Amino acid sequence: MSFFGLPQHDLEYEKLRFGHGPLREPDGVAVYTWGEESYDGLGDALQEGGDDLNDETFGAVGSIGKDFDFSASALPEDDFLSKSIPPSTSIKGQLSRNEVTQSPPPTQLPRSTSHSLEAIWDDKSPFSVLPRANGANRMSEHQRNSPAPSPPRFSPFGAGTSPLISHQHPIGHGVGHNQQRARTLQEIEAEMLAAVQESRQRELLMLQQRKLLEEEQHMRLLQEQERQKRLFQEQQLQRLLQHQQERTPPPRMMPVSQSPRFLEHPRQILLLQHQQEQQQQQRLQDLQEQLRLEELERRMIAQMTLQQTQNGNQNNLHRQASNLSFAEIQAAQAFHQQQRRQRSRSPAIGNHQILQESVQHHANKVQLQQRLLSEMAQAEFSGDFQAVSQADQEALRAEAMRKIVEAEKMEEKRRKKARYNDLMTQSDKDFITRIQVSQLVTQDPYADDFYAQVYGAILRSRLGLQSQDERVIKFGSGGGVGLGLAQKGGNRRPSAMQRMEQQVERIVSNARKREEEKGLHSIHSLQGALGKTSGRSYKAAPRQLLQVDAGNASPSPTLSPAHIHISKVSVYHEGAAKEAAKLGREALGNAADTHNLVRQDPLSQRQVLTILEKLYDLILSVEQLRRDQPLPEEDEEVFLQWKTEYDGLVDQVWEELRVMIPLETSDPHPFISLLYPTKGKKILPRLTRHLSSARMLTLLTLLVACFHQLDVVNQAPVLDSLVDSTERVDAERQTQAFLGSVMQSILPVVSVANLRLATGLLGLLLDRSDIAAVAQTRPGLALLTLFLSRVEVIKQMAATAPDMSEIPSTEESQQWKLMFDHLFQLLAPHLLLLFPSTRIAQTSISGHPDLPNPTDIADQPVWQFLAALALHAAVEQHQVLVTVLREKVLDNVLSVNKGWVADENERQTKLANVNLFLHALGLDSSQIVM
Amino acid sequence: MDLSSSGIQEPFDLIRLSLSERVFVKLRGDRELTGILHAYDGHMNLIMSDVEETILIVDTDSVPTGQGVLQVAKRKMEMLFVRGDGVILVSPPART
Repeated sequence: MSFFGLPQHDLEYEKLRFGHGPLREPDGVAVYTWGEESYDGLGDALQEGGDDLNDETFGAVGSIGKDFDFSASALPEDDFLSKSIPPSTSIKGQLSRNEVTQSPPPTQLPRSTSHSLEAIWDDKSPFSVLPRANGANRMSEHQRNSPAPSPPRFSPFGAGTSPLISHQHPIGHGVGHNQQRARTLQEIEAEMLAAVQESRQRELLMLQQRKLLEEEQHMRLLQEQERQKRLFQEQQLQRLLQHQQERTPPPRMMPVSQSPRFLEHPRQILLLQHQQEQQQQQRLQDLQEQLRLEELERRMIAQMTLQQTQNGNQNNLHRQASNLSFAEIQAAQAFHQQQRRQRSRSPAIGNHQILQESVQHHANKVQLQQRLLSEMAQAEFSGDFQAVSQADQEALRAEAMRKIVEAEKMEEKRRKKARYNDLMTQSDKDFITRIQVSQLVTQDPYADDFYAQVYGAILRSRLGLQSQDERVIKFGSGGGVGLGLAQKGGNRRPSAMQRMEQQVERIVSNARKREEEKGLHSIHSLQGALGKTSGRSYKAAPRQLLQVDAGNASPSPTLSPAHIHISKVSVYHEGAAKEAAKLGREALGNAADTHNLVRQDPLSQRQVLTILEKLYDLILSVEQLRRDQPLPEEDEEVFLQWKTEYDGLVDQVWEELRVMIPLETSDPHPFISLLYPTKGKKILPRLTRHLSSARMLTLLTLLVACFHQLDVVNQAPVLDSLVDSTERVDAERQTQAFLGSVMQSILPVVSVANLRLATGLLGLLLDRSDIAAVAQTRPGLALLTLFLSRVEVIKQMAATAPDMSEIPSTEESQQWKLMFDHLFQLLAPHLLLLFPSTRIAQTSISGHPDLPNPTDIADQPVWQFLAALALHAAVEQHQVLVTVLREKVLDNVLSVNKGWVADENERQTKLANVNLFLHALGLDSSQIVM
Repeated sequence: MDLSSSGIQEPFDLIRLSLSERVFVKLRGDRELTGILHAYDGHMNLIMSDVEETILIVDTDSVPTGQGVLQVAKRKMEMLFVRGDGVILVSPPART
């Protein structure tokens, strides 16, 4: 009988034996009688061939046989084995178990065989290996047989201590015993030696095999666990898929639905949650039992796995199993989807696993997907349990999908935007702000921000709030930043502005400190230490061809407000007072003192423009100075300084206006020349605001004296043409500018003039100008009306309040009467020509019947003037007026009364015009009878 | 009065004198403008009002002999912004 310990040797041996066998048979030696007494004779029936590979065959038994080890349940190991079968195979296991319970008899047979197997597992001794090869019965027989002959034989060699040898020996002994008679002592010795060697070798092999076996066992266990795990995961995966297909609420549903993102539609969510809670309660009760069972099972599994391995996943499983509060709920939710499954495991495990994975790997995406699924599931639930109509359900789902997509988009957007978050450090930001702010700082913040400042001032005055006068951050050195308009409303902007202000101030103060330090150190100690350096612009600048005397020239019109232009006529400057006196005398005494005069060419156009530019610069600085006016009571010295500066500038303005240049110096007078351009006319009101009343009086006198030189008077006839030429347009524009600016600026002077001054001015005008021509112009007519109405006001004041100081003396009144008579005399023959309509009718050959329309409005000032004239006129002058103007009045009244004028407005204008005049005479248009 | 006393230092000072005055502006592309100058800058961008633009069109297609026919198109604009790169010259209109 071969034993697996030495298969090759046994083969050889057996071959030898077989070889000898037939030969020895005739000798009558019972070679083939195994264990003579107890041999049952079944040895022949067994097919012994191929036994040499038994170990291999049986070695695999362990892995194969476990599944079919039905009888094992009785043993303690049985529990271990069956439980080590993964839960995934539970169906199979169940089947097998059913088999066990239903049909016990068939298990009896395998049991006997399996018993030996169990013995193998159980018994770790080397003996346990042996009986497996040949069966337990035989082993016991061997054991029974062998001990008797072996001990004396092997004792001297010491090797006999090994039970293996004692085991092995009977064969050899048996053979040896049979051959003993024929052999010599030497042969026996040799045989024994060989036997000892063999036994040693065998022992070694046995040890190796044992180790191998143990390892194999261990490996098998590990494999088993691996398999369990794999199966577990597969099952979970399957379940997850099923979940998704069936739209079971995935994990994180609760937290997600409670997350602030979903508060956008809290009503829906609340509804859904409510429904879900109800369902959950119902199902939870149903599920309690199931869950408990599952938990129990899981716990057991976990315990066992803990025993077997230290695997972390299994640990988690265990931990989770004992901590089911959250998982239970989810399980409850999930369960109703899985009811058709026979023994479903709570999905909590799978869900938990998924959660872990999702957190570990791509949390965001999975979460989004899960959120999506959860919403869909919610929609599903509501559809299922609340009996919501199919359409509603669909709509709800669509809505949910839309929201999910939206949320995803938003998320994506946010992530894209946030990609560059915190790329810049605070110092980077500060640096950039510094650069930006440095661009904003200017020497003159007000002027640089001029339009915004002015507009802001206008806006503030209109709104009636007087918060800050200027939106400018100022720094001591004169630099500053214009802040533009004040921001209204908004919470972010003002704070941003404040922050900017603070930053700017910090930057500026830092710069100043640095400047001071530099001033302290470098200028005194270090300047020139490295030798002189010439500025690049110094050397590289091309040589100037024109050597302009810089001392005499202002560097630039804008930057030299302090420079005083000295004209040649300023020779007469010292006699300014005298000139003024002379002018006054002229104005009052109708005397033109023309001696002691140097005639000059009138100012050229370019000179006028240059002077005007200078005036504008001056007036801007004057206005700026005016805004900076300190309060007199605050600081005496500062105020005085400011006053000196201001007065100096105003003096310059006065100089530049050239009012004091003698009347006859040139024609037109330089001052009048300055009024030629539109901008010259427009600057006057801005200038006169700063001039004293005495100066204004002088200015007015000069203007009246040179009235005929004005362009608006000279070019007035152009206005009488109806041809729309550029000249006419220009003249119209100039006239408007004159009336709007120049007349406005002299109005306050005239409106406070006394009778004597008015008489004097009228006299001057009559003396120096062709009054008929002047009166045919709008500015002239306006001026005359101004005088007449002022005198009328004085007269009324004298009548109503005789105690006033302004009461004109009788001499003055007589003088005025004289002057007025003179005016009336001069104007009387041209009264009709004063009307633009008459003049237009004269100039245009065929009078346009449609054209009186605009002329009625143009006639209005004339009617006004005539009314004023009528007020001052005596009775005989009234008659003259009526005689001359009778035609005109009748014409107007007729055209109105006869309905020749279709337009209501025109009729009104005509009547109003006529009445204006007639009322002055004490009449009315209604009194006129056709 | 010499140039220095009138404060003219650079060409732009001359344009400055023409502010709010009627000016004649020659532009590239055979265009001319007359109008009132309100503002200008270093690029000679101009803001003008009351502008009359005169465009000279040489029509060479209608006459095959090569001698083009000159056509003048005019148009008026109330307010105009002129981009500086088209400006050839700016001058005050000739005074008669």
